[in-house]
Amino acid sequence: MSAQKPVQSDDPIELLADSLNVWVGKLSDIVHKVIDTEPIRNVINWARMYSLWPVNITTACCSAEFGAASGARHDLERFGVLPYGSLRQSDLIVIEGTITKKMAKRLRMIYDQMAIPRYVIAMGDCAISGGLFHDSYSIVNGAHEFLPVDVYVPGCPPRPEALEHGIIMLQEKIRSSKVYPQS
Amino acid sequence: MTTTDKPTQENTLGSPSPDEPGAQTLTLSVGPQHSGSGHMRLIVELDGDIILNAQPDPGYVHRGIEKIIELRNIIRSIPVIERPSIIDASNLNHAWVRAIEELQGVEPPARGQYLRCLLNEMNRIMSHLYWLSIYGVFLGHTTMFMWPLGDRELFIDLAESLTGARITYSYLVPGGVRRDLPQGFAEEAIKRTEYFEKRLDEYENIFFKNPLFTSRAKGVGVLSRQKAIELGTTGPTLRGSGVDADLRKDEPYAAYGELDFKVHTRPDGDSYSRVMVHVDEMRESSQLIRQILKKLPSGPVRRKAPIVVPRGEAYGRVESARGECSFYMIGEGGDKPYRARYITGSYRNMAAISAVLEGVRLADMPTSWWSIDYWPVEADR
Ligand code: SF4
Repeated sequence: MSAQKPVQSDDPIELLADSLNVWVGKLSDIVHKVIDTEPIRNVINWARMYSLWPVNITTACCSAEFGAASGARHDLERFGVLPYGSLRQSDLIVIEGTITKKMAKRLRMIYDQMAIPRYVIAMGDCAISGGLFHDSYSIVNGAHEFLPVDVYVPGCPPRPEALEHGIIMLQEKIRSSKVYPQS
Repeated sequence: MTTTDKPTQENTLGSPSPDEPGAQTLTLSVGPQHSGSGHMRLIVELDGDIILNAQPDPGYVHRGIEKIIELRNIIRSIPVIERPSIIDASNLNHAWVRAIEELQGVEPPARGQYLRCLLNEMNRIMSHLYWLSIYGVFLGHTTMFMWPLGDRELFIDLAESLTGARITYSYLVPGGVRRDLPQGFAEEAIKRTEYFEKRLDEYENIFFKNPLFTSRAKGVGVLSRQKAIELGTTGPTLRGSGVDADLRKDEPYAAYGELDFKVHTRPDGDSYSRVMVHVDEMRESSQLIRQILKKLPSGPVRRKAPIVVPRGEAYGRVESARGECSFYMIGEGGDKPYRARYITGSYRNMAAISAVLEGVRLADMPTSWWSIDYWPVEADR
């Protein structure tokens, strides 16, 4: 979006297109308002809640418990959580532990490429505040320093049950959230 | 990549002409957001479908553990040294206490030694199972992802009843182990290991004999015996290339000298051999657990050891699930080491990644390099 106002032209087609743009903008506002009404919002949020696909990004050792949680006994898929390779189609980052400075850049890059709505779970003490490695020279002390975090799951490593609880909390959060967060 | 076949044409896009080196190849960056890499990046140079050259780019999980060890006393640093290979915590812990005990001159009681071996072997199975499940993911074999992780929980439950933690035990301390066996542990462990061995037979039918796996692993990613030795690989990678090397046999520590077990090797050095070495080792460890429980001597599990690192140098090494893990420690008489060099199995095996991937098809890349059992967290420390 440029701050400058475009120069008005005399071309009738361009004028028409301009006014059309204004109308399309107004229309989309109306659509947003309608969609954000209670019944439609509930349906959309319900769909979002139960199809949280996390990106396949592992940052450190908490990934072992994430693996155990997606495996046979705990089976995260019953909450609709299915680790997925393509970040354009996924809506959740589970930050699994220590974020090194080298990884932090990549994490931010991945977050920026994901489509809205996107959610972040910080799993493990390291992702919350540095944990065991708080005084290390090569880590970032907590995911909040460069990402907006929705749910924190403490533990070192958190048990799979704790991660499941975190996911249920995130689902509760989505249930009551607006469809268009910015507007 | 350019595929133009008119080499003399003026190239306005600035891409290299086909005659130049690198013009006919494609360089791919795999990871760290992965489906075929871990928390690391592989820079792969391709000619068509064939990998010419693959370079690992580690360091995404480097947390400066060697430095942190210098800042904590020896008991407080046990959780820290466990973290690099959280699925193989007890073996790494063992290398640490071996180095300290060598400096202190403390010899743990026999029962403590046996309990150490017990947890080590359980950890070896858990680690191999976790690795096998990821191998299943890389092949797109979802059953092989679910089954090993489910069976891993058998041993996780056992370890939890023994130590109080699912995967991070901090069970081995200088002078012995933290606590004795809980009631009914032996019976439960024997039942579970027997069940587990039956499960391994089922794996055989669904996976190890499955053409889906064998056609992508047999003869793929060959690491010759000579090369494996030259590159300094250890653990299952080395044994998969036909070298009979296992610290538990070559330099018996803890109770391994009194236990009866075989070292499994395979001569071929391809992905299949490395996978099968892991499987054989799981059977062996399962058998070892029962044997340890049968031979377990009575007595105390821990001897008093001071929280001090006496002046001197020591080298403690063990055979962890991924190969030789060692600590080189310099003490100054305080409660912290002056310096501790920490080398793990994955770190030693990193050199094998390029060697294994050379000449392999891109589609076989995940299965080939993962057969090395490279755990990036462990290698980066
Ligand atoms: S919280 Fe604990 S288990 Fe998780 S990444 Fe940090 S050190 Fe590892």
